[in-house]
Order: sequence, then structure tokens, then C-alpha cells
Amino acid sequence: MNFLDLIWLIPLFPAAGFVINGLFGKRMSKTAVGVIGCGVVLISFIFSAGAVYQLLQLEAEHRSHTVTLYRWIAAGLAHTRGGGLADFAVDWSFLLDPLSSVMILVVTGVGFLIHVYSTGYMHDEDGFYRFFAYLNLFMFSMLTLVLGSNYLMMFVGWEGVGLCSYLLIGYYFLKKSAGDAAKKAFVVNRIGDWGFSIGIMLIFVSFGTLDFTRVGEAVREGVMAGRYHVSDPLFIGIALALFVGAAGKSAQIPLYVWLPDAMEGPTPVSALIHAATMVTAGVYMVARSNFIYQMAPQAMTVVAVIGAVTAFFAASIALVQNDIKRVLAYSTVSQLGYMFLALGVGAFTAGIFHLMTHAFFKALLFLGSGSVIHAMHHEQDMRKMGALKNKIPVTFWTMFVGTLAIAGTPGLAGFFSKDEILWKAFSSNQGHIVLWLIGAAVAGMTAFYMFRLLFMTFFGQSRVDHHTEHHIHESPRSMTVPLIILAIGSAFAGYVGMPAWLGTNAFEHFLEPVFEPLPIQQAPPPEYSHAAEIGMAAVSVAIALIGFGLAYSKYCKRSWEEQREVRQYGPLYKVFLNKYYIDELYDALFVNRAKGGGMRLWTFDAKVVDGLVNGSALTTVRTASGSGWWDRWIVDGLVRFIGGFIKTVSWPVRLIQTGYVQNYALVMILGVLILIGYVLWGTP
Amino acid sequence: MDFFRQHILSIIAFWPLLGMFVLFFINKENKSTIRWWANFVGIVGFLISLPLWFWFDREAADQMQFVENVPWIQTLGANYHVGIDGISLLLVLLTTLMGPLAILSSWTAIESRLKEYYAFMLMLQAGMLGVFISLDFFLFYVFWEVMLVPMYFLIGVWGGPRKLYAAIKFFLYTLVGSVLLLLGILALYFIYPGIAAQHPEITAAFGAGNTFDILAFQAMGAFLPANFQWWVFLAFFIGFAIKVPMFPFHTWLPDAHVEAPTAGSVILAAVLLKMGTYGFLRFSLPILPDGTKQFVPLMITLSIIAIIYGALVAMMQPDMKKLVAYSSVSHMGFVTLGMFALNPNGLNGSVIQQINHGISTGALFLIVGIIYERRHTREISQLGGLSNVMPIYAIVFLIMTMSSIGLPLLNGFIGEFTIMMGALQENLWWAVAAGSGIILGAAYMLWLYQRTMFGRIENPANEKLLDLNLRELATLVPLIIMAFWIGLYPAPFFKALDKPVNKIVAKVRPDYFQGAPRLNARAGEQR
Amino acid sequence: MGQFFQMQDLAVITPELELLAFGIALLLGDLVVEQKRKLGLVALVGIAVSGAFLVRLRNVEFSAYGGLFVLDHFSIFFKLIFLIAAALSIAISLKYLDIERENHGEYYALILFATLGMMFMAGAVDLVTLYISLETMAISTYILVGFLRSNQRSNEASMKYFLLGAFSSGILLYGMSLLYGLSGSTKFADIAEALSQRSPNDPISLLAMITLSAGMFFKIAAVPFHQWTPDAYEGAPTSITAYMSVAVKAASFAMMLRVFMVAIYPLRPHWVAILAAVSVITMTVGNIAAITQSNVKRLLAYSSISHAGYILIGFIAGNDTGLTAVPLYLLIYTFTNLGAWAVIVALRRRDVIGEHIDEMSGLFFRHPAAAILMLIFLLSLAGIPPTAGFIAKYYLFAAAIQTGHNVLAVIAVLNAAISIYFYLRIVVAMFMRDATEKTGLTYSPGILTALGVAFVFTMLIGIYPDPFIAMARQAALLAF
Repeated sequence: MNFLDLIWLIPLFPAAGFVINGLFGKRMSKTAVGVIGCGVVLISFIFSAGAVYQLLQLEAEHRSHTVTLYRWIAAGLAHTRGGGLADFAVDWSFLLDPLSSVMILVVTGVGFLIHVYSTGYMHDEDGFYRFFAYLNLFMFSMLTLVLGSNYLMMFVGWEGVGLCSYLLIGYYFLKKSAGDAAKKAFVVNRIGDWGFSIGIMLIFVSFGTLDFTRVGEAVREGVMAGRYHVSDPLFIGIALALFVGAAGKSAQIPLYVWLPDAMEGPTPVSALIHAATMVTAGVYMVARSNFIYQMAPQAMTVVAVIGAVTAFFAASIALVQNDIKRVLAYSTVSQLGYMFLALGVGAFTAGIFHLMTHAFFKALLFLGSGSVIHAMHHEQDMRKMGALKNKIPVTFWTMFVGTLAIAGTPGLAGFFSKDEILWKAFSSNQGHIVLWLIGAAVAGMTAFYMFRLLFMTFFGQSRVDHHTEHHIHESPRSMTVPLIILAIGSAFAGYVGMPAWLGTNAFEHFLEPVFEPLPIQQAPPPEYSHAAEIGMAAVSVAIALIGFGLAYSKYCKRSWEEQREVRQYGPLYKVFLNKYYIDELYDALFVNRAKGGGMRLWTFDAKVVDGLVNGSALTTVRTASGSGWWDRWIVDGLVRFIGGFIKTVSWPVRLIQTGYVQNYALVMILGVLILIGYVLWGTP
Repeated sequence: MDFFRQHILSIIAFWPLLGMFVLFFINKENKSTIRWWANFVGIVGFLISLPLWFWFDREAADQMQFVENVPWIQTLGANYHVGIDGISLLLVLLTTLMGPLAILSSWTAIESRLKEYYAFMLMLQAGMLGVFISLDFFLFYVFWEVMLVPMYFLIGVWGGPRKLYAAIKFFLYTLVGSVLLLLGILALYFIYPGIAAQHPEITAAFGAGNTFDILAFQAMGAFLPANFQWWVFLAFFIGFAIKVPMFPFHTWLPDAHVEAPTAGSVILAAVLLKMGTYGFLRFSLPILPDGTKQFVPLMITLSIIAIIYGALVAMMQPDMKKLVAYSSVSHMGFVTLGMFALNPNGLNGSVIQQINHGISTGALFLIVGIIYERRHTREISQLGGLSNVMPIYAIVFLIMTMSSIGLPLLNGFIGEFTIMMGALQENLWWAVAAGSGIILGAAYMLWLYQRTMFGRIENPANEKLLDLNLRELATLVPLIIMAFWIGLYPAPFFKALDKPVNKIVAKVRPDYFQGAPRLNARAGEQR
Repeated sequence: MGQFFQMQDLAVITPELELLAFGIALLLGDLVVEQKRKLGLVALVGIAVSGAFLVRLRNVEFSAYGGLFVLDHFSIFFKLIFLIAAALSIAISLKYLDIERENHGEYYALILFATLGMMFMAGAVDLVTLYISLETMAISTYILVGFLRSNQRSNEASMKYFLLGAFSSGILLYGMSLLYGLSGSTKFADIAEALSQRSPNDPISLLAMITLSAGMFFKIAAVPFHQWTPDAYEGAPTSITAYMSVAVKAASFAMMLRVFMVAIYPLRPHWVAILAAVSVITMTVGNIAAITQSNVKRLLAYSSISHAGYILIGFIAGNDTGLTAVPLYLLIYTFTNLGAWAVIVALRRRDVIGEHIDEMSGLFFRHPAAAILMLIFLLSLAGIPPTAGFIAKYYLFAAAIQTGHNVLAVIAVLNAAISIYFYLRIVVAMFMRDATEKTGLTYSPGILTALGVAFVFTMLIGIYPDPFIAMARQAALLAF
């Protein structure tokens, strides 16, 4: 069975699941819904695995397989930048290459586990079927996003996941906050999509195609032919436009604001969409467009800086959050920042590598937190937790592994990926010591807030109120098993990409064909010995250890106290806690302005634009009644005067009693006189 | 059958009139018969129009097909000349689809004076179809004006509280536009013989005498003096821009929409507005290429203003229907933007977007009408939490919201993206500005959706609302299907449009296609 | 002498003679016949016979009485209009006069005499013939306007109309005498000859032209010579208003065409300027004044003023299209307007005046057919296709564009658009207001036939105007 030619089915299985659950789910038993919901994803996973396996059988340079279903859009000839004509034609086709292989495996694999987890977590919710329908729809969109063979297909999935995130964040639509968060997520993403779509169009008018491979070839040929040059404004423009989209989807400054609010959604959603998969779409997209970014080093610097700043910024907020999910949310933003930092310094592999490992441990952490919340009867505030270690051991141990992984403990997944990023941030051409410093600092903060979370939740003495105290129970197997599997993944996923000094980096090697550098001459990357690299790694580990130590001393030895935290950070505390007041700022700057503008324009519409219309109508009517008035008073008045005058001088007129007739007659005379004047003097 | 095939257009156009006359003989007390008959006429009207889709030869989509041409007023040179190309094909089918749906949607909404109501609906249907099939300017103008009367009555008799104001505003406003249009037509009519005399090829094709033949006018377009074109374009512009409506001629639209009965709004949004854009496509562009080029800056500016302005104003509307009305100002802004980008992508997208707007906005008006029938209010503040009691309604509403804000896999995206692609080829900033409209579009539609559908039910009046019944579903399902069809597989639509659109582009920008060969020939091979 | 009077001359005027005979017969019959309505039917027969004679002469081109009076397609076309108008007016009068309790034989006789005068006007190519026939028409109408003896409004209207009419005739006559003085002849052809000899800006000929046109303007009720119209139209018996609004207007325009296009054609540059101004003012004032009228008769009076304004465009254009437009417009206007008036006549009942716009409210619910017909007539007056009114207006606008009078055309079409507003006020009353106890109609076979005829032709000319256009063309082009 040739899976390679069946990759187009991979997104369709979840789509089928969506249709079935969406249409008939209401009448089906929860078990049936769950089985279908998870089953379709499992099938997708199997097909993905099969396809990837078959892809691996091919030689490296042939590891790119396109399946075209049909011609989707054919909107006629367009002028391209080269002055030529290109048919704006987009096919509904899929591309399997090393990059998309990694993505589909992560998406279907982690996705499947989260689906299974959800059957347990959401079991008591009504609208169970709705939830799974949405999840399957999400899987469909996400797989379309990563499998699509051209930018428009990617955009389809891109918007699709946006819709699903909207639906799933708003899943508890009775809560106003949920509805707001959902809308916010969609609209903010729309801003990103705006940039993305502009980027897509620019790509088309520049290269006459939207197909990844063909755009890549076009750039490559252009460079060879000397048509394109590094830091050509065109490439910078495209790269930045695309990055706007990436920043929106992957919650980077300034468009990250929606992600923390997105925690209004059910926890599995946070795990799947807002940690493991969707939010990494931006990273995937930038990596996918590496041939554009390679041509625009300035844009790459922007990406790197924004990534680094976001990582730091978000981490700092995470330090003081008390909602367990919010800590993880900001951690996600921060980790995404890492990935962009990697991409920005040209370490595309490292970025994707971190994307993968992060998918494991962040999904694990979210699901773990979900398990905690589940145990605590939907209590998310860590201040009301503590000492849960023994009450929910599985959750604790798995989350412990996850925490170790994200903190960058040597030997665990997080360590390898993060270490590679930091190293590249320092060593690569676009790299810079400052970037490395920020990255290292963030590593420390990460260790700190993650262990803070762990300690506040599982250690110290219990702050749980007595009512829930004795209801606390370990989650069902449907939830724990995925946790365990993910924990294993978090522990060992890193070994596919061991740094050079530990052996061969299989992962990098696998992705090479996708990230093949363009034939542009640039300074050879500075040479560093393995020793240097090891040293760097050691330093970052040390910093992480410091973070751990602080957390241990503050939250494990002594139990959590608010005043102490406030004292530690001083004025910064409020700033962190209120997320730098960015939301308030945006409301003031944009939201309210837009609304106000709408209001003003509306009045303008009614008063001025429509006013002109009605005004002219009114004038006409006024003139109409006015003309009657004019006739009666002015004309007649004048005429009556003359008439009266004549009456006195001439008797025959008296015979006529009705004054009006004379008036009319006189008007006629006036008319005649006017005409005479008109002809004698009016016309040449 | 053969007769049917030769006269299919006339049959489609006059079938509703026939139905109307039959309607006169039904006793007005006999309401159910009237309803059934009207719906029957509508549905049959749709069915007899279906063959067009299959019989239409897409390889010759730029040629007029199913042509009928019989002398009508010889002394004027006006003929009964009808035919369709790819563009009018889609619009005709849109009309025959929306008509029955609008009629069906009135089943319970209209209780008083049924007979006249349905009579006017059918008359309107005939008029609109006539506009889209006419190839004779005189004939076109007759149909163009005929439709005013039934629409006037639909608003004026069955409308809301300020119906009289809205109705007369609609009538006067559009009439002013149309009479100026007439002058433009006359100018062309009288200049033709002179032009034809100098160009034997035109004389050979269309004769030397006075004619209203649109094709003849299109043929002479290239030879018209620029100054003359400017004036005629101005006349056409006012006539069509009011119909579209383009900013700042749009203010009749919200009033008309808010006051009109649901079916009226549906037809108004779905089809009537398209007559303006169709007018631009069929007349202004091909007949007055120079005039068009001179007007491009103005048209683009107005379009972009309409996009953003309409969206911003829509955002703050407290009345659901008015919100949708302003949203269609914004959407029509896209249509005109694409049109005056004057390249194949822009024009293709523009026509597709016309169809999309018909489907999406038509559906949205149906949706608003459904809730209005239940609650007798359209105040957003009065609603909220409806998805608790009306889940199916919520889903349909969601789909149409998404289609209206241009979500991929639904129809709206195809149109908007192609339009922006066309705009960007001419000027990056046109696309950038238009794009902001898409953001705002998402904002106001989702806000509307959230305020009406999400949350708990605060208003006790909403607790007992019934979900969609089968009839209401029947009015919406076809539109949903269309939305997905165009979203997933628009190729057949583009296929019908490609040639006629290229023809227009070639007329307006003769040098457009003198470019290098296609860059991505490989995509072509996979066809 | 022999050549001055021949037998054919009599043959040429058989329709007129026949009408005259019937008129006298009616006067005598009035003494013996009690059932006055019978007299009306007799009058109808008379008109029919006269029409028959006219049709017999349709292909005759003849200049009789040594060139005082011609028979050509032009005059025949207009005579047909007069006869149709007269017939329809009589048809709608039959019942109406009973209601007004003013059914007298002379009424019908007077209509015939007025028509007789008009028919001579249409054929007159000589100042004297013209003036005499004009007065024949005018005097009969003066009396008819005041026919409701017991009705003070009617008498006053008649008085005004008479005095002003006399006054305008005076002005007209002044112009005529000037022309005679200039040319030494009363024949249009000779006058034109003489004028063309003189310098184009010769003040005397201009004065003649102006006084002449002033008189004409009065007859066609053009601004500023229009002020009698609302009063007269309102006061006169509705049937007579209808008759005047079409027949008298048509006759005046016929006369005006002959005079302007033949007699003072050499002065065309000057009178085009005047007519353009007058036309614009007339249509605008007529429309704007009509907007606020709440009395339907006054409203239609003002609308008829604005229509006169449109028709003048035909003169200004002065080319084939324009000259065709005038007779065509008048023919169409005759049917449409008479139709509208017929409905208003039907509104008159024993107790109800039926002139106020409110008295039409809800008419649709009581008499749907009548309301729909009224709607069609109003749309035709507004020039909305596919009614005849559109063809009429189309021709005028086309003429204006063709001859490059673009500004005039724009003003005209905008006026046409505005006019829909007050026509729709009636529509609103009929269709969108609830019926009051006053709402109602008195039908009579006469009115029904009148409505039927008017409706058929309004639609027929709207949908298939070819033959009528051809007739109008023939009438206009062969004459000038």
C-alpha cells in the first residue's frame, strides 16, 4: 500500500470524523463519539507514519512528494514583477517532505493522545460531541496547513485552525469571558492573516507561483542568474509581511495578547491548539519560507530580536502568575519566542527541533495541569493548591518529567533543542552574544517559574479548602496513559537531534534538503571548537540550576505567601501581574478608537452624506410651498400695487371685481417685457 | 425541446410574468393557493434555468449564447435582442436561485395582501432577469426601470414603520441615476452612425444605421473620442454607482434594507445591487475604455472608502439588519475595487464576489428575517444567547458569518482573495487598504455573532424561541451548499468567466496580454 | 374668383362641415329631446362620422381656398387627436353631468364647435384662418369652463379664463398685425419669405415674434403665462378640464408648430433661445409647484404645465426627431392624460367632490382595477417604461441630445425624475392608505370605455410604438 500517494487522505479522516460527529453526534452515545473522534485521528497517524516511513526509504534528494487532487482556483493571467504573465492558478495539492513529515507526525501523534485524554477530561460536559467535532475539524485544518503544497493551501489551514480555535475557546459560550477571548483570538489573528495574505500575494506577483518547491526553485535560479540579490527590498518586504502572519498565529510581540486569554477554552484545547500545534504554525511557515528569509537578513534579524524579546517578556510575566494555566500560557509564548530566535539566526533546524520537543513537554504540562484542575474540581488557582504530590501521583510524576524537560535538564528533550538554539544564537552568522544572553536568562526564568508552579501545586502544605479536599482523586486511565506516553516522549524525543559533540544530529541531517542554503556568498560561520559549545551548554545549564534553586528556596522550603512575592519584585510585581498593562493599552489605542470612529462615521453618514440627499429633497419641497407663497405675496403683492394704482386711474378695470385677473394679466405683460428684454439685450 | 432550447432565455425571463398573470385569476381570499402557486412558479423558474448551466459552451464563454434577435421598434433600431455570456450566465442563475428562496421565505412573513405581494415579487423577478439577458440597450433600459415599480411597492406596502420614506427614497434616487444613464445611452446611440461610417468592419458587422446593439457599441468603443467617453462614463457612473451603491451614493441602501420585508431585502442585496456592477462590467468598461481609465483613481478611492467606511459604520449598528446592510456596502466596495483593478484576477474576483455577496448577504438577511419573525425586533441588545434555544440556527448563522468574512473553503474567501490579488498587481497599497476591511469585517460580524448567539439568555422573551423549521431550513440549505461549492471548487465558475473577462481586459488594456509566456506552465499541465 | 373657390375645397373640409352640422343639430335637438344623454351619444356618432370622413381623406395632400387652409398628414394627425379627445371627453361626461345636474344639450354642441375650431387651426396656414379658428375654439371652451352655472368656482374660473384669453388673443393679434405689416400678406409662406429678407436682428420682426409667442405661450400654458391654468382646470367641470388639458393643448401646439416652423422660421435662432428658457422654467415650475398640491385637479394642472415644458424641447431641437416628438407626445399624452382624468371624473359622486388627494386613499381596496389603471397612467405621465409615456419622453430627450442641447436634456430628465414624486403621492394614497367612507367611484359605460381605450393605447404604444411613430413622423416631416 503506497502511503505516499495517499497523503491527501490524512486530513480527510478527521474531516470525516467532524462531519459524522457534527451531524449525528447528538444522537450517538458518548463512547461512540469518543471512539470516532479518536479513531479518525489514529488512522491519520497511521497513514502519516506509513507515508513518512516510505519517504525515508527514498534518497535524501528525492524526499519530496507532491500529490495534486484538482485545480482549485484559476483566476486568469496576472502580471508578474518580471513583466511576464502568470496564470493565477492554485492546485488543491499536498506535499510530503522532511519538514511536513515532522509536522504531521507531531500533529497526529500528540493530537491523538490529546483526543484520548479528552474523552476522559470532557466526559461530564454536555456538548461532548460538539467538542469532538471541533477537535476533528481542527485536526483537518492543521493537517491541511502542514501538508499543503502551496501558500494558499497553507492559508486555508491557517484560517481553518483560527476558526477552530475561535470555536473551542468559545466552547463554554455561556461565559462572557470565553466569548470575548474567542473573538479577540480571531480578530488578532486576522491582523496577522492580513500580513500573511499580503505576503502571499507579493510572492505570487514576484515569482508567478505559490507552490513552495517552485518558489524555492525560482529564488534559487534567480540568485544563480544574478536576478536576485541578498537584502533585495522585495524579499525583505515579503519576509516581513509573512512574519506579521507568523507573529499573529504564534503569539509574538505585538500580537501575542490573544494567547493568554485563550486559556478560557477547555484544557485539552490549550494543550493541543495553544501549545503543541496551532501556535507553532507560524514557526513552520517561516521555516517553510526559509529561502525567502535567507535572502533578507534584515528581516531575519527582526525575527530573531522579536523572538528573543518575546521570550524574555513572556517569561517575566509568567514569574508571578497564579493561575496554573496562565503560567503555562506565558511559558508557551516564551518558548515560541525561542523558536523564532532560532529561525532568526538561521537555525531553522533548531527551531523545528524545539517545536517538536516543545510539543511533547508543553502538551504534557498542559494535560497535567488539566488533570490537576480535574482533580480540583475546576480550580485553577495555584494559591488554592499545594501538597497534591501524593494525592495524584501519576499526574505529579509526569508533570515533574515535563518540568525537567522544559527547564533544560541535560539528557531530556528540552535540553537538546534549547541548547542548540542558544548555541546557534551565539555562533551563527546572524547570531549575537546579546541574543545568547537573553536566551540564557530566559532559560533561568523558565526553570524558576516552572518549578514555582510545580512546588506551589504539589509541595508545601495544602491550601485546598476542605470541601474539595476529600474529593481529590487521580484522573481516569484515559487521562493518565496519555500523560505517561507524553512523559516518555519528553524524556527521549531529544535524542533524534543530539548536538554534534554527542554524535550525529540525525534530525538536522533529515531536514537538510528543506533548509538547503541558497548559493549566496557570505562570510563562513566562525569556527568554534566543541569545547566552546560544551562550555556554553554548561553555562546555560548552570543558569537553569540557579533558577531551580531560587524556586526551591522560595516555594518549596517555605510555602507560598503573597506578601513575600510582592516584596521580592517591588514595583515590578504589579507590572508583571498585570502583564505590563498591554491589553489596556491596546483597548485604548485601537479597539476604542475603532469603535469611536465607527460611531462618528455613522453620525457623519446620517447627518452629512444622507443629510445632503434629504436636504436637497427638503429644499425642493420648500421651494414648492415657497413658490406658492411667492406667487401669492410677492408677485401678487407687487401686481396688486400696480393693479390698485391702475384701478384708481382707469374706471373700466373696476368693472372686474376679482383683482386676481388683472394680476395675472400684468404678470403676462411682465413676461412679455422680460422676453423683449431677453431678445433685444440678452442675445447677441 | 428544440423550441425550448432556442428560446430558453425568453422563456426564463417571461415565465414569472406568466405566473403573475395567472395569479390575477386566483381569488385573493384563497391564500394557500396563492402561496403554493407563487412558490411553484419560482421553483419552476429555477428548474428551467438549470439547462443553461449545462448547455452553456464554456469554450466560447466570451461569445453571446442562446441569442434571440427579432426586430422590435424598427424606427429606432431597437431590437428584442437577448443572449448571455459567461458573466450574465452566473448572474441569471443567481437570480433564478434567489427568487424562489425569497418567495419561499415569505410564506409566513407576509400575511396581508398576498396576491399583490407575490405578483410584485414575480414581476421583479422578470425584470431582473430581463436586465441580465438584454443585449439591446433600449430593451435593457426598459427592464432596468420596470423593476423600480415592484420594488417600490414591496418596500412601500409591506415595509416597516418608515416604509414610505424608504420607498420613495429608493425610487427617486435610482430614477435620477437611471435617467442620466438614459442620456448616456442616447449619446452613444447618436454617435454610432458616424463611427460606423469610418470603420467598415463595424458597418459590416452591425450595419450603418442607428442601433442600440450593445455589441455594436462595444465594437466601436475603441474609436470613441476620449472626451466624449469621459462624459458618457460620468452619466453611466452616476446611474450605476447609485445602484451598486458606491460611496457616497449608498445612503438609500440602509433605509431600503431596514424597511423592506425580508424577501425584499434578500432580492435587493442578492440581485438588485448586482445590476449596478453588471452595468459597469457590460457597458462602462468595454464601451468606454478610455473613460474607464480616466476614472480609475476615483473609482478605486471610492471603493476603498466604501470598504473601510462601510465596515466601521456597520460595527456600531444597534440594528442587526442595518449592520448587514452596511456590511454589504463594504462588500460591494470589494467588488468595484476588483473591477477597476482592470486585470483578469480583479475582474474574475469581482464577478465571483458578486455571486458570493448574493449568497452570503442574501442568507444573512434571511437569517435576520427569521429571528425578526419570532421576536419582532432586530435590536441586537434585545437578543443574545440564542444558540441555547436555536442550535441549528446558530450553526447556519455561523457558517454564513464565516462566509461573509471570507473564511477559506467558503465562497467569500475566493472572491476577496482574487480581488486583492488583482488590486495588488496594480498597486500594493490598494490591497493593503482593502485588507484592513477584512479585519474589520471579522470584527463586526463576530461581535454581532457573539452578542446575539453567545452568552446566557438575559431576555426572557428569548427563552421560548423555536429553532428553524423545515421551510426555513429549505431556504438556507441551498445557499450553504452554494457557499461550500464555490469555496471548495470554484473552477467551473472561473471557467465560465475567464474568457469574457479577458475580452473586457483586452478592450480596456489592449496591451495587457502582450507579456512574456506563463511562468508556471507546469500548473497548466495538471489541468 | 373661379380659381379661388372650387368644389374640392368643400370636399377637403367635409369632416369639419359634418361636425358643424351635427353641432347645429344638437342645438336644435336640445329643444325637443328630454334625455340629454342621448344627445351625447349623437355627438359621439357625429365625431365617429367625422372621423370616418377624415380617414377617407388620409392620403390627400391639398391646399384649399387659395392657400388659406391645407389638408396634409400633419393636420389629419392632429385632427384625429382632437376627435379622439372629444370622443373620450364626451364619453366621460355623460354620467358626470348628471351628477353635476348640469346635463344640457349645448354642452355637447359646444365641444363639437370647439373641436371644429381646432380642426381648422390644424389646417390653417394663414393668419386670418388661424385666428378665426382659434377664437372658435377659445370661445367655446370659455363657456364650457363655466358650464357649472350653479358652481361659483366654475363661473369665476370661466371669467378669468375668458378675460385672460381675450387678453392673450389681443397680444397674439398684435403680433399678427405686425407680421402682416412686415410682409403685406397673411400667408405663412409669404411671411417667412418677407422675414428672411429682413436683417435677422430687426427689432420689428422680433417684436412680432415675441408678441406672437406670448400669445402662444398662453394657449399652451407656459410659464409665465400659466397662471390661469390651475384656476381654470380646477374650476372647470372635470370632463372639460380633461378635454382642455389634451385637446386645447394639442391644438395650440399644432398652431405653434405651423407658425414657428413656417411663418417665423427665419427667426429661429431667436425663438430657440426664448423657447429654451421658457421650456426650462416651465417644466421646473410646473413640477415644483405640483409637489405640494393636495387637490388632484390642481396637481394634474401643474403637471400638464410641466409637460408643455417638455414638448417645447421638440421645437428647440427642430430636427426630424424633435418634430416627430411633438405630435407623438401629444398623441400619447391624449390617451394617458384622458385616462387619468377619467378616473378623477369617476371619483365625483353625488356627495363627494372627489378632487382632494385624500378622497383617493385606499381606492385600490374598493376598485382595484381603477387603481391599477390610474397607476399605469401616472407611470406613463412620469415616463416610466414600458408605458407610452416613456416613448414620448424618450423621443424628446433623444432630440435634445441629438442636437447637442445636453444641458437642456439633463435638466429635462432630472425634472422627469422629480415628477415621479408627486405622481407617487397619488399612488401612495391609492395603494398604501386605508380606504375611507368617502372612497368610491361611480362607473358608467362611458367612463369604462374611455378607461379601456386609454389603457389599451397607453400600453400598446409603450410596447409596440412603431406604427404610431411612423404616423407622427409622416405627419411632421411632410409638413415641414
